[in-house]
Amino acid sequence: MAQREKIKAAYIDYVLSNNEQPKSVYAFAKSLKLKEEEFYQHFNSFEAIEVGIWSDLIHQSAEKVKAQEVYAEYSTRERILAFFFTLTEEMKAQRSFITYSIKHAGKGFTTPKVLEKAKAGFETFISDELNYGIEQSEIIERKFISRKYKDALWLQFAFIVNFWINDNSEGFEKTDEAIEKGINVTLDLMSRGPIDNLLEYGKFLAQHGKEKINFGAWRSHSGN
Amino acid sequence: MKEQTSIPISKVERSVKFVTTGAKVGVNYLKHYSRKLVNPETSKDQLNEDNASDIYQALSQLKGSALKIAQMLSMDKNILPKAYAEQFSQAQYSAPPLSGPLIIRTFTKHFGKTPEKIYDSFKLKSTHAASIGQVHQATLNGKKLAVKIQYPGVGDSISSDLKMVKPFAFRLLGMSEAELNIYIKEVEEKLLEETDYELEIKRSIFFSKACKQLGNIVFPKYYPELSGKRIITMDWIEGMHLREYLRTNPSQAERNRIGQALWDFYNFQQHELRQVHADPHPGNFLITPDGNLGIIDFGCIKELPENFYYPFFAFITNPFEDREKTISYFKQLEMIFDDDSPKMVEFYYQNYREMIGLFARPYVQGEFDFSKPGYFNELFVLGEKVTKMKEFKQARGVKHFIYVNRTNFGLYNILNELGAKVRTDTFKPHLLQATEVLNE
Repeated sequence: MAQREKIKAAYIDYVLSNNEQPKSVYAFAKSLKLKEEEFYQHFNSFEAIEVGIWSDLIHQSAEKVKAQEVYAEYSTRERILAFFFTLTEEMKAQRSFITYSIKHAGKGFTTPKVLEKAKAGFETFISDELNYGIEQSEIIERKFISRKYKDALWLQFAFIVNFWINDNSEGFEKTDEAIEKGINVTLDLMSRGPIDNLLEYGKFLAQHGKEKINFGAWRSHSGN
Repeated sequence: MKEQTSIPISKVERSVKFVTTGAKVGVNYLKHYSRKLVNPETSKDQLNEDNASDIYQALSQLKGSALKIAQMLSMDKNILPKAYAEQFSQAQYSAPPLSGPLIIRTFTKHFGKTPEKIYDSFKLKSTHAASIGQVHQATLNGKKLAVKIQYPGVGDSISSDLKMVKPFAFRLLGMSEAELNIYIKEVEEKLLEETDYELEIKRSIFFSKACKQLGNIVFPKYYPELSGKRIITMDWIEGMHLREYLRTNPSQAERNRIGQALWDFYNFQQHELRQVHADPHPGNFLITPDGNLGIIDFGCIKELPENFYYPFFAFITNPFEDREKTISYFKQLEMIFDDDSPKMVEFYYQNYREMIGLFARPYVQGEFDFSKPGYFNELFVLGEKVTKMKEFKQARGVKHFIYVNRTNFGLYNILNELGAKVRTDTFKPHLLQATEVLNE
């Protein structure tokens, strides 16, 4: 494990100093006084290091949140908020690397390769919490849509990371606000709201409306 | 209390909030005029009520400085028509709280520890809002504590909020931009000071020491070591807010005692300390079970500089005996300008005399019964009359008036709600003897 951390740290140091990946695994391992095969025991490419850093970040944040004493009392909303606050705290120690990694990941609509494993870990954590929320009836299950809930939160993740990278406020206070606001809105949409009630009312009318409220019948009685 | 689910934060969103409010107010006017077409008897009360409730809704969602402004406007019941004042009064009580994780975050950022590691117990659900923050209950070593936590980013948004409130306030109060600018600046300064919790704790300790000898008043103990930029820890004071207290039907003697404590507290500060707790809204006071007045917020302090204090309070103890001297004081206070025509000088002299004379009445009489509505109606009627005069649509009066008026009228309003009769000669204004001799 120590070796894994050492490789991670050396890699971060290299890319931040040179603004590019090392030329080859061989040269990189040599500079660390490691055998090439030792490198491959932990990572199968440079990209895999970045993938690992991101996925560790998610994993550690989730574990830290769960380890908090208040976690058991928290609602899903609070758990997810706590996750994002912890995440930005964890990211602070690696701000330069994260900025580098996101800038080099390229823009696009699909998830960048380096984030794929992190996304999987994120979704595992989020799905567990959302299920908890559904059990507690904090979150409402909706046909087809509830499967997309975790995607909405992944979008929040992307937004928050980008916001944080560009945040110049003292102690990243603005990011805290962005989290508080964004997650609350997202979770609001997952709770029972006027749309659900409207749909249910519509369903009710469709089922019972014809028999009970027959406008056509009224018209025919009025003699027209 | 329902947890607040979103706080519009970015400038754009705040603007949108104000724009939609502006549009709503516009619609309310349309409704009013169409109602008037149908029924010429329609009074403006309905319109004012519609407007006030839309404005209040927008403001309370904006929290922070905007809420503060709502609180301020509601203090000046005499300037605003009654319906506005009623709606704005709602803002003097609770606004919805922030999430638990963000509170813990604030603690870990400032102390490197979670609240449960700092206190023996800490309630994550806030007990009430404090306009730019919220208050939580905690215990430490068997003592019950109140922990005030500031919302993140409040300081940043104040200036931009005020910029947006400005045009809105012009319309609301019917004032010109020039008139508002010097005042808005003063308000901005005070609001920014209020976000400085380190300053607040220093002041709280200073004032609670300085006012210790006053009767029937209690202050919480403050804990600087458990306080910081965003957090203030103090003793929890048990008690009821004014309106709750009044619902218990306290006797006249009890009301008078609380009223006297309030009067002494304010006038001791104004005349002996020359700086005053300038936020006399009912939410800042508690009536303790043993009938004392608890004072819990020193966020807003107005200092009274000598060049304001002496001319202003000279009217109050010695109203207008000498026309020339009175006019020279009015000039010092920028209520009359050097280039005013003799006709204007006469106009302002008469009107300011009437206003200040009315304001000073409780001081002059030695004892004053604030429960009588007559005096407040006179204030209200005069306020209405003055706001309609085009002569008062321009910048007059030094900036110090806003907070001093707010403080004193706020005090009067609370005493009126209390229905208290108080001795008003306990702490008398000081006169500048030396200068007076020099001037003559």
